[in-house]
Amino acid sequence: MPVPDDVAAKLEAMGLAPADPVAVDRQGVLALAALLKNELGFTYLSYCAAAHRPASESEPDRTVVEYRVRRLPRDEVAFAVVVPTGESTPSLCALYAGADWQEREQYDLVGTVFAGHPDLRRIMLPEDWEGHPLRRDYAIDTRHHPWR
Amino acid sequence: MAVDERGQAFTHPVYAFLEKLPGISLGLTTADQLLTWGAANSLFIFPMATSCCGIEFMSASSGRFDLDQIGSIPRGTPRQCDVMVIAGTITVKMAPRVKKLWDQMPEPKWAIAMGSCAISGDFYRDIYSVVPGVDTFMPIDVYVPGCPPNPDQLFEGIRRLQEKIRLKRAGEWTEPELRPDTPGFKVPSLPRVGDPARDASLDEAQLDAVMNLDPGGMLRRSEG
Repeated sequence: MPVPDDVAAKLEAMGLAPADPVAVDRQGVLALAALLKNELGFTYLSYCAAAHRPASESEPDRTVVEYRVRRLPRDEVAFAVVVPTGESTPSLCALYAGADWQEREQYDLVGTVFAGHPDLRRIMLPEDWEGHPLRRDYAIDTRHHPWR
Repeated sequence: MAVDERGQAFTHPVYAFLEKLPGISLGLTTADQLLTWGAANSLFIFPMATSCCGIEFMSASSGRFDLDQIGSIPRGTPRQCDVMVIAGTITVKMAPRVKKLWDQMPEPKWAIAMGSCAISGDFYRDIYSVVPGVDTFMPIDVYVPGCPPNPDQLFEGIRRLQEKIRLKRAGEWTEPELRPDTPGFKVPSLPRVGDPARDASLDEAQLDAVMNLDPGGMLRRSEG
């Protein structure tokens, strides 16, 4: 979906390329989200998703977190943050209350750590689960419980 | 003196008194037949309905198929139920909860595994979060195969359970039901870690296949 014109102008003023998703670094993600929500009216967080990418020649082992926000009725903007494994990205919970459980889900399944999240613990898997099953290096037949 | 399923004996003063009376055993036998008739024909069901088999269960319990006609009423609490119908996929997180509900049901109690997910995990079997068959953590009396089974197949399963109750209370030996043969699922499709049949090179091949994925490849192919 193309980035709306008023958003593209603001993004270029911030030094970001209007794309789908907008690539933003970890230091700038809170400022971008605040701009989108408070000034441009993107008040609805559509989703927060994450994917693990294994290390390659050019890139380290990392997680890509993508947020998509929406301005009703139809405009939407996505922005993606690259989080190297072992480091954290700022949480958007303070801005978007809907990010709370979604970021917990990403932590649970992919293992991304969100700094400043009020209650970062597992949401889907059992509390005593080890590992994050949607990571590429998670063996699909890892044994866990006696009945697995 | 009576013996329950765990082999524990229990007595009651009234029982002990009655057993001394001459000829009372004849009356007790008749009473036992009455109790058997009652037990087999008033099976209160606890619907452990976690997914689409639960919809078939709802269909079975509502007007068109009418589970009430054979005396089976779905109840919302395990403490008033005789039969647990496990209808749906049970995940690793759900399994301890199912076990807890099963433990809360009063004796005597029975369990029906309804649908292939409850029986063997079916095509979710190899997923990290799914239990490959509920009989890995609790006893199952009757298996009702199907994906999902029709209401009439569930009725057939309840009929088989009634037959089993009648035979068991009469003191006759019943053939325990086995997991039905599912082609391709008798042996796990992927030898698991810790399985002696598992080739060690499988781990490396699997990890290699995963680590050399091209994350954007699918997207690029669809664009070109």
